[in-house]
Amino acid sequence: MVTAAVSTENLTKIYTLDLLKGRKRVVALDGLNLTIGEGHVMGVLGPNGAGKSTTIKLLLNLITPTSGKARLFGLDPSDAEARRNVGYLPENPSPYEYLTGEEFVRFAGSLSGLRGAELTARVRTVLEQVQMDRFTGVQIRRYSKGMTQRIALAQALVSSPRLLILDEPTSGLDVLGRQLIRDIILAEKKKGTSVLLCSHIIPDVEALAEDVAILIGGKLVRSGPVSEMLSDEGSRVELTFEGVDAQRLSPLNPEVIQDGRRLIVRTAAASSRALIEAAHQAEGRLISMQPIRNSLEDAFLEALRNSQNKVGSTIE
Amino acid sequence: MNGVVSIALNGFREARRNRVTSVLFVFAFIMVFSTTVSVEFTVATFDRVMTDFGLGVIGLLSPALTLFLGTALIPREIERRTIFMVVARPVSRSAFLVGRYIGNVITVAFLVLVMGALFLLQMQFAGATSTYSSGIHREHLIALYGLLLEVVLLTAVSFLFAAASSQYVSALSVTCLYFIGHMSEDLYTLAGRSKSDVIRVVGRAIYYLLPNFDRLDFKARATYFDPTSNAELLSTTGYALAYTVLVLIVATRIFERRDFK
Repeated sequence: MVTAAVSTENLTKIYTLDLLKGRKRVVALDGLNLTIGEGHVMGVLGPNGAGKSTTIKLLLNLITPTSGKARLFGLDPSDAEARRNVGYLPENPSPYEYLTGEEFVRFAGSLSGLRGAELTARVRTVLEQVQMDRFTGVQIRRYSKGMTQRIALAQALVSSPRLLILDEPTSGLDVLGRQLIRDIILAEKKKGTSVLLCSHIIPDVEALAEDVAILIGGKLVRSGPVSEMLSDEGSRVELTFEGVDAQRLSPLNPEVIQDGRRLIVRTAAASSRALIEAAHQAEGRLISMQPIRNSLEDAFLEALRNSQNKVGSTIE
Repeated sequence: MNGVVSIALNGFREARRNRVTSVLFVFAFIMVFSTTVSVEFTVATFDRVMTDFGLGVIGLLSPALTLFLGTALIPREIERRTIFMVVARPVSRSAFLVGRYIGNVITVAFLVLVMGALFLLQMQFAGATSTYSSGIHREHLIALYGLLLEVVLLTAVSFLFAAASSQYVSALSVTCLYFIGHMSEDLYTLAGRSKSDVIRVVGRAIYYLLPNFDRLDFKARATYFDPTSNAELLSTTGYALAYTVLVLIVATRIFERRDFK
């Protein structure tokens, strides 16, 4: 039997707030069922307060669930052994600022049980991987945000984890930093590392993840392979013509946009042949034809609209 | 076990480089060194004044640093989420807390030992150069030992409060507890003289339940060369260590259950 890297079963977290007006219940996560297979990359999308960070905290035993179960490689996260194969990069990481980058990564490695020559070799490798090997002797408090993010990623990678949990790994980074982190995630994916990627940057999730889960208001509203979410409108095409009068195509009733001398036409794939023939008879020229694909952002916005644009946790 | 050692050494290394600790170290040296100056205002009781002043300075700075580090460290790590990157590893929260505790004790004990060495050097120098001073006595060493025991116990109490509440709440609570702990014997005596049963019970409860810091204080005895028996020293050590272990067990239990929001 293959054990999933991550699995949750009706995972729920409810906080109670004692306010002047009385006690309130904040449902941060509501019955989450999620599975990440070994070697898979799952992106988790959601607006602020959707439950993304709560999910991560539950998986890392930083908070305890109100009900339901979470498992890391089949073990309860409260079992320290369950976390041995996990590398974690928190959002806006804040490492020990008076340690140097190398000392911090070495410290993280030692906590995962690495010792001696093996630890030294792993520290050197990951520092080179995140391109921080030139700044190893500098205290972290002197690092820029991007450098701190890279060192925090290095500490997540040092123990060669089988599961990487990354919370907003590219936030606040410049183009080069983002590209580097994306390359590292792709390299880890190639090695067979499972990745749970929470990000607000949807193109990153689209480029890196195989599966995606959309959380809104603490609930999982949609999940599945990224390719499925992108192909929802796969039966429609976009055609670009030159030298055609829009009126000559109107009997076929397509969606038309006039762009200078060019005519952009969107229609069902089945109607495309008739449109091309009509344009040809009108002595027009077909410039391009491509399928219309939904972006992940479209899928996310649609899910958000379906949830009445709900932002934040549910307060009862 | 290796995790505890790594966390303890890392804590000591960080505290050593921390600017606040460094400033306090320099201030401590200046204060202890000024013990020599106090002799200038003394006619003949050099030993008494130097002991009083020197141990007094150490006895003031050591709990101040213990309180500052002990109550601020854990809440600050939770607030900045630094702790996330440590407890997400295969390390139990108890190991984290005990490691941080040992690191803190090493840091403050190091300061106390360095200040103590400076103080003893001055006593030795005074003994060698003045007819009014007789140098280092066993009581001086016992007083410094008592201060180290106080660091061990006070750090544990600070960690107990820090494991359960915010920085300011724990700083305030531990400060109050520290002063009550230094007066618990007086409170016990006073309460014993009361006609009210309630006051007598409360006085007794404070005496037995709260940490008795006064018991670890040998400074006055050192000033007046009042000898301390080995048996008393042993029972005081046993009391401080047993209380510390008990407090740490409660602190780890609380910390294991805490949600890091």
